[in-house]
Amino acid sequence: MSEPRYKLHWVTVLVESLKALKEAILPLVIVLISGRRNNDSGIWILDNWSLLLGIILVVYLVSSGFIKWRRFTYWFEDGELRIESGLFVRKKRYIPFERIQSLNYTEGIFHRPFGLVKVQVETAASSAGEAEAELTAVTRDDADLIKIRIAEGKKRKMQETGDPSEVEMDGVGSVETEPEEKRVFSLNPKQLVLLATTSGGIGVIFSGVAIFLSQFGEFLPLDKVSDELAGLIEFGVFIIVLLVLVGLFVAWLLSVAMTFFSYYGFTVRVSDEELIITRGLIEKKRTTIPLSRIQSVSFVENPVRQLFGYGRVLVHSAGAADDGSKIQLFPLVKKRALYEPLQEIFPELDLREPLEKLPKRGRKFFYRIDFIWMIPVIGVVGWFFYPYGLLALLIVPLVMGFGIWQHRSAAYRVSGNQVTMRSRGISLETSYTMRKRIQSAHMRQTIFQHRQRVASIHLNVKSGMGVHNVRLRQMDVEEAEDLLNWYEPSRESGCE
Amino acid sequence: MRKEPANRLSSKGLTVWRLYGWLQTAVVLLLAIGAGTLTFLFDWPWWVYIIAIAVVLIYGWLFIYLFPKIRWSRWRYEVRESEIELQHGIFIVTRTLIPMVRVQHVDTAQGPILKKYDLSAISISSAATVHSIPALAAEEADELRNRISALAKVAEDDV
Repeated sequence: MSEPRYKLHWVTVLVESLKALKEAILPLVIVLISGRRNNDSGIWILDNWSLLLGIILVVYLVSSGFIKWRRFTYWFEDGELRIESGLFVRKKRYIPFERIQSLNYTEGIFHRPFGLVKVQVETAASSAGEAEAELTAVTRDDADLIKIRIAEGKKRKMQETGDPSEVEMDGVGSVETEPEEKRVFSLNPKQLVLLATTSGGIGVIFSGVAIFLSQFGEFLPLDKVSDELAGLIEFGVFIIVLLVLVGLFVAWLLSVAMTFFSYYGFTVRVSDEELIITRGLIEKKRTTIPLSRIQSVSFVENPVRQLFGYGRVLVHSAGAADDGSKIQLFPLVKKRALYEPLQEIFPELDLREPLEKLPKRGRKFFYRIDFIWMIPVIGVVGWFFYPYGLLALLIVPLVMGFGIWQHRSAAYRVSGNQVTMRSRGISLETSYTMRKRIQSAHMRQTIFQHRQRVASIHLNVKSGMGVHNVRLRQMDVEEAEDLLNWYEPSRESGCE
Repeated sequence: MRKEPANRLSSKGLTVWRLYGWLQTAVVLLLAIGAGTLTFLFDWPWWVYIIAIAVVLIYGWLFIYLFPKIRWSRWRYEVRESEIELQHGIFIVTRTLIPMVRVQHVDTAQGPILKKYDLSAISISSAATVHSIPALAAEEADELRNRISALAKVAEDDV
C-alpha cells in the first residue's frame, strides 16, 4: 500500500534560512566588523576576507534551508506519522499516533500571506523547548488532514483493541464530531496594556541593549564620542542621568511592545479533554495542552500586582510544550475574577483560600540564615565607608521584616485529595496540587528545626522532563507528619 | 510522632564509607605534604605546618569517623506494600515517601569497592525524581529490586 507523501510549502526555505541566519547573526556581525581593519595590503581577497566569509556563510545557510525543504517528506502509514529528512544522513522518524500528545500551530509573518501554519508534534518524550517533530510550513488543509488522520488512527486502534480505556484520547479530539470548544478566558485590551506595562521583561531587554552596545563598542567612533563626553560632563551629570533614563525608557517601551504583540488576543478555550491557548498579533500561536497532562496549578501574585489585586495563573504540564512545561494559563487576572473560569477548566479543584497558618516558633528560620551573609557585608561596608557605611545596618530590619512577611504569607489547606500550599519567595504563590500528581514527598528537618519542632515539606511534581517543587517551610512538625501520612498510600483508606 | 523506617543499611556500608573517607583523607594528606614541602623550600612561616597537619587530622576525623557514623545511624529505609520510605541526612534529616504507584523503574549498581564488600546501591526512579539507597547487601538489593518492580507493576500510571 503506497501512501501519498507530502512535502512542505516552499516558504520553508525562507523561514528556515532566516531562522538559521538569526542564530548565526552574532558570529556574522563579529566577522564583518573585525574585517574592517587591516584592509590595506592591496590584495583584494585579503582585504575583503570578512565580506567573502560572510557571503559564504549566508549562501550556506540559505542552501541548507533549501535542502531541508527539498528532502523533507512526511506521510501516514501503519498508524504512524512518518518523517524523512536530511541530505547525506537520512533521518527517519516514525511516531505512532497514540504517542502523539498534542499538535501546536504557529503562524509567523511569512506563513500568514499564504495561509500556512507551522505544526509542532508533541509526544511525552519531547524535551523542554523542543518538539518531537516540526513541520515548518504546511497549508491549513494539510494541517487539518494531519489532525484528521491522527484522530482516525487512534480511533481505529481503539476499535481493534476493543478496549477504549487502553487508548488515551487526549491530545487530538475526534474530528467527525468536532468537540465543543468553550471560551473560558481572554485578555481584554485594558488588561493587555496593564500586562505589557507591568511585565518583568525590562531587565532582559536592558541587558540585551548592553550586550548590543558592547558588541558595537569598537565600531563606534569612540575618540569622537569621548571628546563629546568630556563636553557633556561639563554640562553636568544631569544630562548623563537623563540619557540613561531615556535609554531605560526606550528599553521599557520595547519590552511593552513585545509583550503586547505576543499576548495580543490571548484566549483560552477548553474542550472535553484539552486546553487550547491562542495568542499573538504578528506571530499567531495555538498551543494545545491535554488536560490529563496538567500536574499542578498555581496562582502567582508579585507584590506590585498583588497591591492592585492582580496575579497570574501558571500550570505545570508533564509534556513540554513550545513555551516549556510551565505555561501561563491566565497571564493577568483579577483575583476576584479568577475562580469562575479556573473552576470551569478544573471542576474537581478546590479553590478555597488556604487557612492553616504556620506556628510562630518557626518564624526566626525565615531570616536567621541571612545573618550568615549580612554580618560580613555590614562589617566590611561599615569598616571601609565609616561612618556612612553603618547605614548598611538598615538591611537587618529590612531582611527580618521580609522574613516575617514570608512567614505571615505562608498557609496551607488539605481538602480530600488535594493540598493547597501558599508561600512567598518574592511573589506570593498559591499551588493547588492533587495527591495523584505528587511523585514523591520529603519532610526535611535540621537540628535547629528539630529543637523548635518545625519541619519543611517538599512535594515533587512532574514538570516537563524535570521536577517542580511545591514546598512549605517551617510547618509544625505534627502537621508536617500529618501531611506525610495524608500522602502515604497505605493510610489513605484509613483516614478518609 | 511518625515511626522511623524499620531497616538499616548493611553494616559493611559503614566500612565502605570509612574506606572512602580514608581515600579522601589520603588526597588531602598529599596536598598537605605538598604545602609542607613548599614551606620548607621557600622558607614560609612555621605555622603553615601546623595548619596543614590540623587540616589533615580534622578532615580525617570528620570523614573517616564522625560523618560515616552519623550518616549510617541516620540511614533507614522501609519497603512496604504500597510505598517506600527513606530517611537520611547528616545535618538535614530528610524523610522521603515514594508511593509504589509512582515508581517507574528500579536500578541496582555496583562499583569495584561495593563489589569487594558484596554490596549494591539501588536507585528508585519516579517520573520526576530519583532516590537511592547507597549500600545494601547485594542479594538483599536484588531481592528488593525485584520486589519493588513487582509491586510497582501492579499499579497503573496516570501521568
